[in-house]
Amino acid sequence: MAAQLVATREQAVDVWGGRLKLRFRVAGKGTPILYLHPAGGLFFDPFLAALAESHTIYAPEVPGTSDGDPNAIHLVDDLWDLVLIYEEGIRKLGLAAPPVVIGQSFGGMLAAELASSFPAMFSKVVLLDPIGLRKEGLPIANWMTTPPEQLPALLFRNPQHPAAQAMFTPPADPEVMVKQTSALVWAIGCTGKFVWPIAEKGLKKRLHRVTAPTLVVWGEDDALISSGYAAEFGKAIAGSRVAVIPECGHIPQAEQMPATLALVREFLGE
Amino acid sequence: MKINAFSQVAYRQFEDDFRRKHDSTVDTPWSLVDPAKVSATYRDYLDNLLLAARSGFDGLVFTEHGQASYDMMSNPSLVASALAYATESEGLDVAIYPAGRSLGKAREPLRVAEEYAMIDHFSNGRLVAGFPVGLMYDAAVNNGIAPIDIRSRFDENLALVMRAWREKEPFTWNGRHSQFECVNIWPRPRQAPRPPTWLTATGNPATMKTCFDLDLGFNYLSWFGTKLTGPRIFGRLWDMADAMGRPRNPYQVGFVQVAAIADTDAEAERLYRRHTEYFFNCGPGGIAPGKLAIPGGIGIPGLQAIMRDPSDFGIAHELRDVKFQRLVDVGAAFVGSADTVAQQLAELCKQFRIGNLHLMLQFGSMPRELARENIERFAKQVLPRLRDLWKGEGFEHHWWPERLGGKPRHEARPQPTRAGVA
Repeated sequence: MAAQLVATREQAVDVWGGRLKLRFRVAGKGTPILYLHPAGGLFFDPFLAALAESHTIYAPEVPGTSDGDPNAIHLVDDLWDLVLIYEEGIRKLGLAAPPVVIGQSFGGMLAAELASSFPAMFSKVVLLDPIGLRKEGLPIANWMTTPPEQLPALLFRNPQHPAAQAMFTPPADPEVMVKQTSALVWAIGCTGKFVWPIAEKGLKKRLHRVTAPTLVVWGEDDALISSGYAAEFGKAIAGSRVAVIPECGHIPQAEQMPATLALVREFLGE
Repeated sequence: MKINAFSQVAYRQFEDDFRRKHDSTVDTPWSLVDPAKVSATYRDYLDNLLLAARSGFDGLVFTEHGQASYDMMSNPSLVASALAYATESEGLDVAIYPAGRSLGKAREPLRVAEEYAMIDHFSNGRLVAGFPVGLMYDAAVNNGIAPIDIRSRFDENLALVMRAWREKEPFTWNGRHSQFECVNIWPRPRQAPRPPTWLTATGNPATMKTCFDLDLGFNYLSWFGTKLTGPRIFGRLWDMADAMGRPRNPYQVGFVQVAAIADTDAEAERLYRRHTEYFFNCGPGGIAPGKLAIPGGIGIPGLQAIMRDPSDFGIAHELRDVKFQRLVDVGAAFVGSADTVAQQLAELCKQFRIGNLHLMLQFGSMPRELARENIERFAKQVLPRLRDLWKGEGFEHHWWPERLGGKPRHEARPQPTRAGVA
């Protein structure tokens, strides 16, 4: 994994009766955007770096995935706990107005859960290849049991894409590799707590509650979760806009960054 | 020294290309089997364990695996109850020793407690109760437990089962993984307050520590090459015993070993080579690595330790294609004349201080008659040479039923709680 592209600082918020700190990485300057990371943990990629030029990005880390605090996950029993912890943490940021939320994959599911549970929480919602629904005939791969060597082809339409190479080229220093890999595996385990064994925990019953303007973006060739789910989210969220990006796998913000960025900026009225 | 017959119920008639085309667990196609041969496998398995009981083995040991073609044993309580009744009616004083019900997998922990209690009564107090955390493919994939929750489910279920056995009055259980308004199981076990209890594991220090904390037996079940993994795992175990001020009592430790004998080393290789390779290639070798190590199942320190040095797992990564000679060289299988194998086993037990040896004498594709021959030969030619291995060292067996000569102790021991040990 490449080094972080943008300077970030930590803002930790006491939540859960003081038993837990929800840690936000914060970068940039401007109107706030909340970014919810995918199953593998938080990484400030070029997409976020570009948004940080005109926004303040607040990116909370799922408890357990923060560096040096792996056991925090054991204080969060289930998805409902996690939703409440995020609501509390975001509320305690004390932002002047409801922020935009962008969530990718696992983070997309979490954004949808939050927007369903607390319809006034966000001004706008952007879901990038979110998990959270399950329908016969629309395949979803189990990324947690996929051997590491098969992950590039699961996440990217073109595993040779520079973003894929940047993501999967191991660091030269073996000790750095051990630390990064163990953190990545643990992050997948922590987020897996809320979606195992099937990433459908009732969201389909709740999505109709989303009232914020919503953009659903999907990579057409997503091998992890079929782009057929784009229409499912579109149908369930009244008034939402759906965009399917061609030549693109599970991570549009990485594999088709300019197109994804343009869609998001247009949706935000920029 | 306790010497037990250990067995798994493997489907024995897969074609030679099975290991190339299929995994041995989870999604193995049922269309590959002849159901009549599955029925015959169960019959041979039970008959042969009963033969071991009649031949003088101390206990009958078996495991739990769901959706597994190498061990068609989704509930070992079923086999335990059949064997408990059969041995009791024949007057055979052997331990009935399920090395599993997996408590990291179990969604009905009180059913586990009740079933074990029933088996203890069927056998008139001969149950040895084994509890593994459980393999990840079984607990997580087969039973839908999030990998990160397996260990805490195990800890909570163990505490609940032991309390359900022990408490004289009904109690309420308000756990994270299960809740019960009134726990008052009928029956409680015959052996009060509980049967000898063992944890089964592959070398995780946390499990070892729990065994010493709670005075439980520790079973190390590994097929990864005794010569490679034994020094590491047992070294770790006994170092921990020293550090915790516990005696190095070999009776607290159990180990499984694949073994087969014939008149000569050459004859043994001729008879067992194919079946040995079948067991390793189509059994543990056929488990998809991605379903054995699922993110969340191992914490960051454990992950880093494994990445820096994966030697705890010996030849695990070779098992799908491993050949006979390699298995013999690393001690994954002891195959030879009675002299050769008895000597290897004695050295193994002495080196690692093993006081409970679980001999896997029917394995892989081995047909009924060959397995019976192996069991009977062992009883006559090997068991007498190992029996007294620890005699004269002054240790007592506190992890064995009283009816079978054990000296269980329960006084003033700490008890497990939901979150650890009290």
